[in-house]
Amino acid sequence: MRRVQANAGLPENASLNNVTVVLEDRPILRGISLELRPGLTLVRGPNGAGKTTLLRALAGLTPLARGRRSLPGGVPLYIGHRPMLLRGLTARENLAFLAAFRGRVAGDVAGALRAWGLGDEMDRPIERLSAGQRRRASLARLETEPVPLVLLDEPFADLDSDAIVRLRAALSSAVVRGQAVLVATHMHHELDEGATRRYALDDGVLRET
Amino acid sequence: MSAIDRALLITGRELAAERRHPDGLVAALTFTGLLVLIESLAFGPGQARQPVVASALFWIAILFAATLVTTRSFDRELEDDAIDAILVLDGGHAALYAGKVVAIGIVLAIVALAAATLSLFLLGLEVALPGHLALVGILGILALPPVIVLTTLIALRVRARVALVPILSFPILIPQLVACTQGAAAALTGDASASLGWAGIVAAFALVYGVLGLTIVPAAIE
Repeated sequence: MRRVQANAGLPENASLNNVTVVLEDRPILRGISLELRPGLTLVRGPNGAGKTTLLRALAGLTPLARGRRSLPGGVPLYIGHRPMLLRGLTARENLAFLAAFRGRVAGDVAGALRAWGLGDEMDRPIERLSAGQRRRASLARLETEPVPLVLLDEPFADLDSDAIVRLRAALSSAVVRGQAVLVATHMHHELDEGATRRYALDDGVLRET
Repeated sequence: MSAIDRALLITGRELAAERRHPDGLVAALTFTGLLVLIESLAFGPGQARQPVVASALFWIAILFAATLVTTRSFDRELEDDAIDAILVLDGGHAALYAGKVVAIGIVLAIVALAAATLSLFLLGLEVALPGHLALVGILGILALPPVIVLTTLIALRVRARVALVPILSFPILIPQLVACTQGAAAALTGDASASLGWAGIVAAFALVYGVLGLTIVPAAIE
């Protein structure tokens, strides 16, 4: 299997160093340090623990009040708890656009969408798909944008059992390719076996479990 | 991939979405047509046919149309957090700004063409210098989106965005509105040098705000 090119020569891994995030005068993350090595890292925590903020801080979408973010492998693939696909475009158009923006040839977009069970729906506008289908379309980006660092926020939400199996397989492939994958979820059982590192996030404080 | 290529990708994405669901264009066309009609009736035919008044009515309508189209465009981005997929990417901030400016300029050109046709037909205006009028029109269309897109990005996460964008952008756009109105009025009356002079001022506004937007947009988005 093809390994992710940028990972092999990295001087260091993506990391957060003593990061604090404050939103609307409320500390959401408190002094978090985290290094993301190749493999699957699982962050669990209840609703409101700061999981989404943690991922957004890593992705560069949330400003840091204190601390440092390091992304030596370049821009991560961040898939939030909403699909992040533009309404008015089809699933195929959305994925082709995002791959092209990263400077990648978007030739395998149709194949990726078919693999996620969207063979018949890939040319329908995204707003006409169900929530689960939209989630599948966004997760197909794991195949069309194979970058060294992947950040997934509640990826199991809206998925049926077939799609959950597909997601497990996609994450295993990503790990074999040498990608570092961080999954934030409040579910307690979905990825326990495959995770190489596990953390618990509660009230903005991260601890290894 | 160059910055221009990235911006053009955003433009293509925006126009594709607008083509499939032209709600921004339709709203702007309807609003602009009604505004031109109502303003003409309110002023009365005698007053509304005066070149400066007719030009002012047209540009005020276009200004509101630009706000409508831009607001709809960013509403679409915020649904399902589509905008975050771009903002996370290298060069995403600047490309989003530049791409939106170009796309909204193209949509606005369609609206302006329809509104100009309606104004000329409704008021029975005679155009002494059509080429000059077209030049002022094109430059005016180029000058509006940089400011409105920038203020929309500044107010992106604010709940009162719909009210805040006009409050922030309209005071900045008053000089452009005056220059566009005077330039178009001069073209209607046949004053070529005045029309070109005002067109130059509008072009300068477009350039300054375009460059300013590209410079401060990353900080503005944060």
